[in-house]
Amino acid sequence: MTDLPFLVARGVSRRFGVQVALEPTDLTVVPGEVVALVGPNGAGKSTLLAILAGALPPHTGTVERADGLKVGWMPQRPAHYGRLTARENLDLFARLEDEPDPDAAVERLLGQFELPTDRPSANLSVGNRQRLNLAIALLGEPRVLLLDEPTASLDPQQRARLWERIAALAESGGATVLATQNVEDLERTSDRVVELVEGHVAFTGAVAEYAV
Amino acid sequence: MLLLLRKDLLVLKRSPLLLAVLLAYPLVIAALISLVATYVGAKARVALVDQDNLPKTIVIAGHRFHVDRTIDEVSRNVKLVRLTADEAERQLRSGQIVASLTVPRGFVADLKTGVRSPTLLLETTVGGIAPRVRQQVQALVYELNRRLQVAFIEQDIMFVELLLHGGSGKVLGTKFHIIGLDGTERILNQLPRGPKLDKIRDFVGDARKALALTDTAIRSTAHPIDLEEPPLRGRTWALSAQVQAYALGLTITFLALLLAAGALAAERDENVIGRLLRGLITPGGLIGAKLALAAVVSAVLGLAVAIAFGIIIDARGVVGGEPWVRLPLLALGLLLAGAALGALGSVIGSLAREARAASLVAVLVVMPIVFLGLVPREVVPPAGWISDLFPFAHAVRFFNSALYDSSPWGTLWYEALWLIGLTVVGWTIARLNVRRLVS
Repeated sequence: MTDLPFLVARGVSRRFGVQVALEPTDLTVVPGEVVALVGPNGAGKSTLLAILAGALPPHTGTVERADGLKVGWMPQRPAHYGRLTARENLDLFARLEDEPDPDAAVERLLGQFELPTDRPSANLSVGNRQRLNLAIALLGEPRVLLLDEPTASLDPQQRARLWERIAALAESGGATVLATQNVEDLERTSDRVVELVEGHVAFTGAVAEYAV
Repeated sequence: MLLLLRKDLLVLKRSPLLLAVLLAYPLVIAALISLVATYVGAKARVALVDQDNLPKTIVIAGHRFHVDRTIDEVSRNVKLVRLTADEAERQLRSGQIVASLTVPRGFVADLKTGVRSPTLLLETTVGGIAPRVRQQVQALVYELNRRLQVAFIEQDIMFVELLLHGGSGKVLGTKFHIIGLDGTERILNQLPRGPKLDKIRDFVGDARKALALTDTAIRSTAHPIDLEEPPLRGRTWALSAQVQAYALGLTITFLALLLAAGALAAERDENVIGRLLRGLITPGGLIGAKLALAAVVSAVLGLAVAIAFGIIIDARGVVGGEPWVRLPLLALGLLLAGAALGALGSVIGSLAREARAASLVAVLVVMPIVFLGLVPREVVPPAGWISDLFPFAHAVRFFNSALYDSSPWGTLWYEALWLIGLTVVGWTIARLNVRRLVS
């Protein structure tokens, strides 16, 4: 690992109306690591990921990013256009992500994720919609992946491919932060665990130290 | 922004039913408004209380007036129903009639003798369409007066002719015979000449010349300004410039408002808005894409409606035809109005929690905007002031001027600035709100 972090969140918090989703929280993501965010439903994992992705502005605190860092974000609920096919969705987001060769990127991801292209994505199975959701997050060659429950709805084969992809990214000096409820995700992929409970960080440390 | 616009147009193309409903719905509303307008133009029910037992015919100044026929002819704008005084009063109170016109006792006698002006009594309800009925009854009395005036003028001219040429006449039932100026001159010519007789002869000659001009003079004095109505060859109401402008305004108001509101709220429904706003597009760019969508769809469908109007107008050979050369100006107005309405729709979309709620709110908002814009500002000034805060009225004035004004530039600049201003205000508010959609 290098000393220069990709992402540094300092005291980030968020509330929705009167409900506090995330208390002031610190998190640093460095190259080559895989961080697992765990905790019960409503603990603030998705909110923290959205803040790190830049989709949600924090009410307090700051997020610093390394210069020119590309971040891929996969929200928990599929985020693509239901009336567009998988190809059209990938093509649109590839161009929005300024992919140098959008057509090639689309073909590559369609092949890797074995996505049907003959129907609107709203008509795809839950698993295929999740695959498309993940494929879009990979556009733009991100160095950091922020994945929210990425293995939910994936079949074992696709889950194994995802683990391989996360490992390959870490080996190449990239990083991944994934929110998960899946113990296997922790054991297979993660270096570090951050446990959130009711918006607070309850634990942070190596996977081996974390008692599930 | 262009990528999102292209995506939205693709999504719209794949929703033909939605597009058909968005186009058909305002046209149905426009048709309903036309029906209501027709109803508003229908004849009001007015009581005729005949206390003088009007005869079937009245001879005035030698002219025979058929009372029923005259009432039928002159009451084109109101439906006259014969009622007793008590019944008329009761129905006036209950609102079954909007006015009561009473012919008092002695009316015909006064009319025949001309000793004093006969009087008709008009009572109306308060407010509503009473002012319009009052105007219509005034028009009715004006028309009656005009017909009587013609009869009296002809009788006066007949008397002048008698003075000039001599003959038999009748005044207040008394017959008489006069020799007239012609006869007087003939007699004078038979008398021996002399200075005194020459003065009388000169006077008779001058009087004859003067009276010879009396016919035209009396007629022109009675009608200082004559209104000539050539046979109707112009546009029917349904094809008028105003209706065309309103139909266009109504159509794109529904289209643009609902599209922009729905399209922005749909970004949230699809859970894509967070993905977009994390750096792929700015909030201003996202709202700009919705404005562009509303503007493009408004221009395309608005021009289609205008072309359909034009084809009908040309096919029917309406005088003036469709101003085809003005369509580029209209297209510019459609783009500006579409953007302004799209901005308003984006404000709604940024406040709503989901696309269905946004569409419902947009429909609820569009109705009062349209109806406020239909209220003549001369009649209810506050309605005009409020209407100015929304794009519909400006769009209608722009379209009307762009299509039919001979010198449209002043109006076009003024309304274009309003539409641009409203676009900027709406865009700013929606841009500030749009982050709320990410959660």
